[in-house]
Amino acid sequence: MTASETPTPAAEGDARPQADHADRAKTLVQRIADLRAWLFLLALILGFEVWARLSFGGTFILNPFNLQSIAVFAVAPLLLATGQTFVIISGGIDLSLGFIMGLAAVVAAHAINALTPGLGMPAAVLLGFVIAVLVAAIPGTINGLLVSRLRVPPFIGTLGMFGVARGVAFLLAGGTTVPVSNSFFATIGNARLMGVPYIVIITAVFVLLMHYLLSQTRFGQHNYAIGANVQAARRAGIDIKSHLLRLYVLSACCAGLGGVLYSARFNAGAAQAGEPLLLDSVAAVVIGGASLFGGSGTIIGTVAGAFVIAVIQYGLVFVNVEPFWQFISVGVVIIISVLIDQAQRRFSGGRQDE
Amino acid sequence: MKRRSILKSAVALAALAAVGMTSGTAFAQDKYSIALIPGLTTDAFYITMRKGAQAAADALGVELIFQGGPEFNPVVQVPVLDAMIARKPSAILIAPTDTTQLIEPLRKANEAGIPVITVDTFIGTGKYQTGAGDADFPLSYIASDNVLGGKMAARALANAMGGEGKVYVSNVKPGISTTDQREEGFKAAMAEEFPKITVLDTQFNENDANKAASQLQAVFARNADLKGVFGANLFSALGAGNGVQQAGQMGNIKVVAFDAPTSIVDNIKTGLVDVAIAQHPAEIGYYGVVSAYAHLTGQSIPTSIGTGFTVIDKTNVEDPNIAKYIYSE
Repeated sequence: MTASETPTPAAEGDARPQADHADRAKTLVQRIADLRAWLFLLALILGFEVWARLSFGGTFILNPFNLQSIAVFAVAPLLLATGQTFVIISGGIDLSLGFIMGLAAVVAAHAINALTPGLGMPAAVLLGFVIAVLVAAIPGTINGLLVSRLRVPPFIGTLGMFGVARGVAFLLAGGTTVPVSNSFFATIGNARLMGVPYIVIITAVFVLLMHYLLSQTRFGQHNYAIGANVQAARRAGIDIKSHLLRLYVLSACCAGLGGVLYSARFNAGAAQAGEPLLLDSVAAVVIGGASLFGGSGTIIGTVAGAFVIAVIQYGLVFVNVEPFWQFISVGVVIIISVLIDQAQRRFSGGRQDE
Repeated sequence: MKRRSILKSAVALAALAAVGMTSGTAFAQDKYSIALIPGLTTDAFYITMRKGAQAAADALGVELIFQGGPEFNPVVQVPVLDAMIARKPSAILIAPTDTTQLIEPLRKANEAGIPVITVDTFIGTGKYQTGAGDADFPLSYIASDNVLGGKMAARALANAMGGEGKVYVSNVKPGISTTDQREEGFKAAMAEEFPKITVLDTQFNENDANKAASQLQAVFARNADLKGVFGANLFSALGAGNGVQQAGQMGNIKVVAFDAPTSIVDNIKTGLVDVAIAQHPAEIGYYGVVSAYAHLTGQSIPTSIGTGFTVIDKTNVEDPNIAKYIYSE
């Protein structure tokens, strides 16, 4: 896993802007640093394990039920964070993802309800799925046009779209939640294959594809190049406008998938489904090692970041921490994680930045 | 034109204060406008309340203005209220989003001569026209008794789980008068009436069903003898129900939901939710408008009106008499 995201010499060497620095100064310390988010996650899990054993003699991580629960919990924030990773690496941010997710959830619910009588359950779900993701791509396209053609700063453009997507989603939903009556859809949302929930499998496959897209393709290389230095990327002949457009469509589609899976799981489309997740998604990307200034970050890191958030929130309930302390703990862990990142950059990455 | 009618109302109000009666006719030519400001606009509860209010407004021939913020938050609600005060409606019905932060903004309405009635939530203590405190100026508080609703939820849950085991409350976040009262009522009834039931720490999900589901799974992982959960609002219940399903404990862990929008009712049919405590939001809206009209036409009105609850479960969910209590879009 790590080999693919920390570029090894030769063929992959010039694939990425930071690569030749990385080649020269590849020390053991740095390899460990690349895994920082995963190490942090491991430490967190071990911490909860010790806490659980000491406080009531139970196990935290060896209990498969806990693993399933945490994986299901991580699905929605991870999908938003996956799209967000691409955008943050390019030096932007997408604030509209939460409500694009809600919009997709509502559209999926309506579309599947409308199509089920005519097409039967599985076909309606498949088509409803496609329609919802396509509808999610509309605000993504507008975000992309705003940022690329009209040069609106991403923070502002997507903040505007946050409001628009929210309003449209609530209008379509009639201000409330839209129940779905399609048992096939509910099965996708809640059934398991050999103990692994379907939505976790779907998410894992999708995230792997996104990892490939970011680390192995030209689209991914361009994304790092633009985030590291737009001027240099432009002079290198990268079509920035079309890249940014595709980028925001991609992140919207990630959120769209998150919305559809939300509807499948809860049997209802809710416009506010993704609202609380937006900040979690940004936190997951940053914990995963991306810089908010662009140019660095990986999907692998983001996966760890999303799990860090899911594990803390689940673990604190499991070890029975007083609810108000949970708010504080989650905040503190996010800050610590980013502090470690900063320290690591200063010590091992300092030379790299010159 | 506008200013003249304001002037006229002011004069008429002065006359009302001076003469004290029979000034209703002074208003009769003008159509009354009643503003309804919900806690938030994107909630089936308030949307249903609006329907009830509209029905009363149509029956009485008054104009209903429905405006609110997208979030249950004083910062969002106060500007909407200010804009409404500037329009000078004949009366304001409002679901205040905070018991103290809304006192001063509403006093402005009162001082401008606009009668204020609070619906669903209240300011101060909720006891009005007593001469005590600085928040007694609203004319009436019309709502369901959320403490009682919480008690009913506790009884329904205890009943469903056979009076024994562990339960917890899945709640939104602290500081909302209605959901806090439901939790308070729930815990009080459990403590007084069901000594064999242990109530665990409340979990707050910030209106995130995903988080509520995960919390249920974590609480269950820790407490294998968890037998019930009370979802104090829509997303708390939706999430808790899904957590029970994910944990493979349907039927074993009972779920009681507060409020009855269509998605909860669907979940009752599929067994994800066992019982829903439905408030009667349409009734609150209806009595709100009727009370305002009664006051405007010189009648006296009660300082508080309590509306009821309906307990919905699998046995009555298909009953057409019950269907009218399901919150509609």
